[in-house]
Amino acid sequence: MTSATQHQHPAPELEPGKVILELRGLEKKYPGTHALKPVNLAFRAGEIHAIVGENGAGKSTLIKLLTGVMPRTSGDVIWEGEPVALATPHEAMALGINAVHQEVVLCRHLTVAANMFLGEENVRYGLLQQRAMVRDAQKIINDLGFNLPAHAMLGDLTIGQQQLIAAARATVRGTKFLIFDEPTAYLTRKEADQLFALIRRLKADGVTIIYISHRMEEVFELADRVSVLRDGTYVGTRNIKETDEAELVRLMINRTIEQIYHKDEFPIGKTILEARQLSGKGFENVSMTVREGEIVGLYGLIGAGRSEFVTTLYGRHAKSSGTVLWDGKEVHIRSEHDAIKLGMALAPESRRDQGLCLNLPVGLNLNLPIYKRISKNLLISGGEETKHAEQQIAGLRIKTAGRHALASSLSGGNQQKIVIGKWLNHGAKLFIFDEPTVGVDVGTKAEIYRLFSTLLSQGAGIILISSYLPEVYELADTLHVFRRGKLVATHGFHTASHEDILTQALAEKQEKPGGQP
Amino acid sequence: MSTEAIPAEKPKRNYNALFGLTLLALLVLLWVLLSFSTSSFATANNISNLLRQGSMIAILAVGQTFVIITGGIDLSVGAVVGFATVTTAMLINSGLPVFVAILITLLIGVAIGLFHGFGIVKMGLPPFIITLATLTSLRGIGLLMTNGNSISINNDAFQEFSRGSFVGVPNLFWMVILVGVPAYIFLHHTRWGRYLFSVGSNAEAARLSGVNVQRTIYMAYTLSGLCAAFVGVLLASRIGIGNPTQAEGWELQAIASSVIGGTSLFGAVGSVHGPLLGAFILATINNGANLLNVNAFWQRVITGVLIIVIVYFDGLRRRGSK
Repeated sequence: MTSATQHQHPAPELEPGKVILELRGLEKKYPGTHALKPVNLAFRAGEIHAIVGENGAGKSTLIKLLTGVMPRTSGDVIWEGEPVALATPHEAMALGINAVHQEVVLCRHLTVAANMFLGEENVRYGLLQQRAMVRDAQKIINDLGFNLPAHAMLGDLTIGQQQLIAAARATVRGTKFLIFDEPTAYLTRKEADQLFALIRRLKADGVTIIYISHRMEEVFELADRVSVLRDGTYVGTRNIKETDEAELVRLMINRTIEQIYHKDEFPIGKTILEARQLSGKGFENVSMTVREGEIVGLYGLIGAGRSEFVTTLYGRHAKSSGTVLWDGKEVHIRSEHDAIKLGMALAPESRRDQGLCLNLPVGLNLNLPIYKRISKNLLISGGEETKHAEQQIAGLRIKTAGRHALASSLSGGNQQKIVIGKWLNHGAKLFIFDEPTVGVDVGTKAEIYRLFSTLLSQGAGIILISSYLPEVYELADTLHVFRRGKLVATHGFHTASHEDILTQALAEKQEKPGGQP
Repeated sequence: MSTEAIPAEKPKRNYNALFGLTLLALLVLLWVLLSFSTSSFATANNISNLLRQGSMIAILAVGQTFVIITGGIDLSVGAVVGFATVTTAMLINSGLPVFVAILITLLIGVAIGLFHGFGIVKMGLPPFIITLATLTSLRGIGLLMTNGNSISINNDAFQEFSRGSFVGVPNLFWMVILVGVPAYIFLHHTRWGRYLFSVGSNAEAARLSGVNVQRTIYMAYTLSGLCAAFVGVLLASRIGIGNPTQAEGWELQAIASSVIGGTSLFGAVGSVHGPLLGAFILATINNGANLLNVNAFWQRVITGVLIIVIVYFDGLRRRGSK
């Protein structure tokens, strides 16, 4: 480990201590954009240092510079007192700098052990020492307190467990500096807790952790210090004990929380949809109504049955019992097609897997649900196609080179706008938004919430699924709490406290008889 | 329809058009080179012959492209062609009117396509497997039906068709236009075409957007089967016999034409004019090699090398243009 380094240079605002990695004027320019303006920042050995900022604030650029994926434009990086080039990923890894990415980049068809040692296999006489590797991997996994078999196929594990393996993998290669890039985006709460335990353990072992997340509650739960980036500019660093969410949000976007959760009051109209004691795969006995001008929030942990409930409403899966009423009449929704014909629209949870055709143009994605309507005599009306696409791109302020650009070329927030925007021309009556703001920056969040108001003002109803309590708490007129496939509580707007709702969603121990609405 | 009516796809179309142009340029270049290096290439006779040679693969490639755009593959088309020559021959010889025989053969192609759709959608089989199974079993069924013999077609008018021409262009090439124009409109100007692309790009996203994914898959394989059966009819007319072992390896030529024409085997990228040009480039290479007296064994090698070169350079250009 480093000896106490003396700073001769104008150092960032922190008292001298064990600085493991220091950035001095680190800067990155692309042709046309200044992705990262000169940053002075020091990371201390053994701290958990959160970095927050909107999409496009420069977080990814910073990670890429630190892991040697891209060369910097100018500035110095001082590692344990010595300037380093960080020109290649290999150099970064050799120093002990590693990263765990949001999406697991491992081989699903290999075993856990094979993945743990991928690239550094235990080989003797040219032969893999498989048994030894499984044994070693199992030991590491057990040491970390994960209850996972090292001989299992990685693909048989949940995404969350895979993420844990990816993190464990980083720990076996002498890592001193570990970057987590939104690691919990796809984790359940339990898995996230295991990951947090792992992170704390690494910290106790003296590893420096950079933790990047959109989720404020995680930052406050884990981090010692937090740095804020905005538009490629380093805004500042705070000790976590001396700041709060409101301040961080203000630093990130120059706006207050009230301005983000924008809620207009609309008259509640007649019932659009009613589910009566609906049961299906992953949920049972759920009853609720959605009315015109109403946001119905579904809160609960990931895996509590909320997504299953709405995808069943939407005809993706078959219900096992119960009835659905649309406009007061019983309906049988057997496919997505039926649901869409009634007037339902679903913006699914995963943009990448369910929401978008990434390698097709923005315009095609935006028009996909309405091609039938804009076709005349079998042919698509090109004028209509253009008009609808341009209208959404302008109206939602989708940042794109144009409607012909591929959806994959857009940032996450703008992709999410397409997922939502494709339904706006469809004239749907009931909109289902499943985690619409995951991985979306605060500015785009605010735009999406304003869009909700527009929909409500046109007499639509909204089902909003979120695992982020403030979101449903501030927006939903009616808030249903799900736990283990059951609807366990219902609240009006601000009629219960955060703590009560959290308890209802968590309460693993108090097993009440099921089925109470 | 005016070009202004469909600007939604403009840069993509311009790009496609550009790509079509470079393929066209390649084709023209080959023709110019062959005209200079051989005396027999630039004769009306040879050009007609070349158009006939390329036409059937071109039609197969169009159907194949629909399937590949959805992210699938249809290995059965060669076998369907062979089988269709048999049914055409048998039905004509049984005394049915020619158009009825053709119609029934086309319906058989549709049925084979529906079967593929069923295997993929309902049985969950990979397209490669279900169409491979058809490839081998359809040849077997054809052999069983004919006892391994060729069936001569007793209808001169039917055979005359493939040899004839209309306003100086071989009838077989007119058939390419007959298939190509509706196929182009279908792929680029109807919603079904858009659905093919969306299913190939992300079937789940398409489904959640209200696209009937199953029907789209059925449609792609049905069209491919239909194109193949149609080619079978044309081949029967050209060779005057029904023989289930005909068109050996044509599925690979169709796939190669499609890929040379810019279709991505990963799905969601493809056109109609690309595969057509691809098919005639392949036909020109074979025709030219014949005229230049290149050893027939070497022709196969050259074709293979050219496929690699063309697709590699296309990939380079695409990456460069991003």
